[in-house]
Amino acid sequence: MTDATNHLGTTLQDFLDGRLAAARRSEVEAHLDACPQCRRQLEALRWIRDVALKQLPGEDVPPALAGRVAAALDAAFERSRPAASLRIGRRWPKWAAAGALLAAVALALLVVALPRANFADAVARDFTEYSGGRLALDVRSSDGAAVESLFASGGIGFPARVFDLGMMQYRLAGGRIHRLRDRPSALFAYRGPAGRDLVCQMYEGRLGDLPRPDEVRQHNGITFQVYRARGLTLVFWQEGAVVCVLASDAESEAVIQLAYAKAAKV
Amino acid sequence: MSSGEAPQGEGKRESFEGTALPFMRVLYNTALRLTHEPQDASDLVQETFLRAYRTFANFQPGTNCKAWLFTILYSIFVNQYRRAKRQPRMASVEELEERFHDLAQAPGDTASDVTTVEGWGWRWSPEVERALRQLPEDFRSPLLLVDVEGLSYEEAASVLGCAVGTVGSRLFRGRKQLFAMLQEYARQDGYDTGSSMDR
Repeated sequence: MTDATNHLGTTLQDFLDGRLAAARRSEVEAHLDACPQCRRQLEALRWIRDVALKQLPGEDVPPALAGRVAAALDAAFERSRPAASLRIGRRWPKWAAAGALLAAVALALLVVALPRANFADAVARDFTEYSGGRLALDVRSSDGAAVESLFASGGIGFPARVFDLGMMQYRLAGGRIHRLRDRPSALFAYRGPAGRDLVCQMYEGRLGDLPRPDEVRQHNGITFQVYRARGLTLVFWQEGAVVCVLASDAESEAVIQLAYAKAAKV
Repeated sequence: MSSGEAPQGEGKRESFEGTALPFMRVLYNTALRLTHEPQDASDLVQETFLRAYRTFANFQPGTNCKAWLFTILYSIFVNQYRRAKRQPRMASVEELEERFHDLAQAPGDTASDVTTVEGWGWRWSPEVERALRQLPEDFRSPLLLVDVEGLSYEEAASVLGCAVGTVGSRLFRGRKQLFAMLQEYARQDGYDTGSSMDR
């Protein structure tokens, strides 16, 4: 049984979660240097927080639910309409209401379902989530080795190499043990010129599983599949059993050139 | 009618769809982990969005919409679902926490328990899901909100209607229990030796 009076207890978690003042933090670090028991507990808590709970498989929303929500919202919307209709002196035609319902269902399905319909859409969605601040990195670091260490310790299951894009003025922001659809993915992100984000993902798969690309290019004997949608450019290529992809809202040709620069023939 | 006189409801609807609906998947997955039933989870999510739509005027643009939606979801869950559901019970929460502390009690243990489960990486994800569902709800909810969904302690406290300190202590106990459960699974499945890494 742990002697809580001599060990850190909940302070260990405050330390892990960055909730200690600097002075207390130094005291805790000193204790950790001398206490293997607390160090082990810290690592266990860190593993639970940063690895175990970051890789939970998520279920897709049942298509029927998106439709049900849209219909419920539509019903609430319609209930709130009569006063407004009288005020503006016109009635909401039934066909328009039906159209609104269909549009709402379509929008909900588009928002919820379609982005996960294939890997290209999933990568585009991840970029949008990251760029919008809704997809957090597990490790924030400009040190490629630190991010590679995250992937190795997180059991990605394949070697993931983090690119050095400093020469192209892209600075590494950090990495995340991610899931791309149903597969583990090594995700790492950069901040480039003019504040553009660049997100790279690597996962085990085949280029052949992707939908038909907008463009196929060959460079140094490597095939690149290019997708463009809503201002984003996605460039996929294969390295052995791993598919690599760069996603960015930077100028399309620049994204392709980055891929050319970093793709390795395996 | 001029273009500037569009009914308020249409603008509200459009704004709501753009702001709240993108969180449908995270709400559904949390609802699933709370109710354990896809049908209940769907009902809970639908009711959450409906209530959120009705009270959308209360939402402050620029604040965390996900946290606001979770507040509504948990409120409905507590009032309508939790009371009707049998709570999964652990054999002994205290025993699990004791086990966690025991892990760190063996100086010189070359194949530490931390290393044992850590080495399994992503292959643990179904076990993590199973263990999470076994946790008592008081400990599961802070884990879901803070560790899975990335809410701050303060946001999670607001969602759960408790003190920030309570979130911290439950999070601490929940993390320890989860680790001890995964450790137990590892032992049951024979992953408690270095050679199991090859399996």
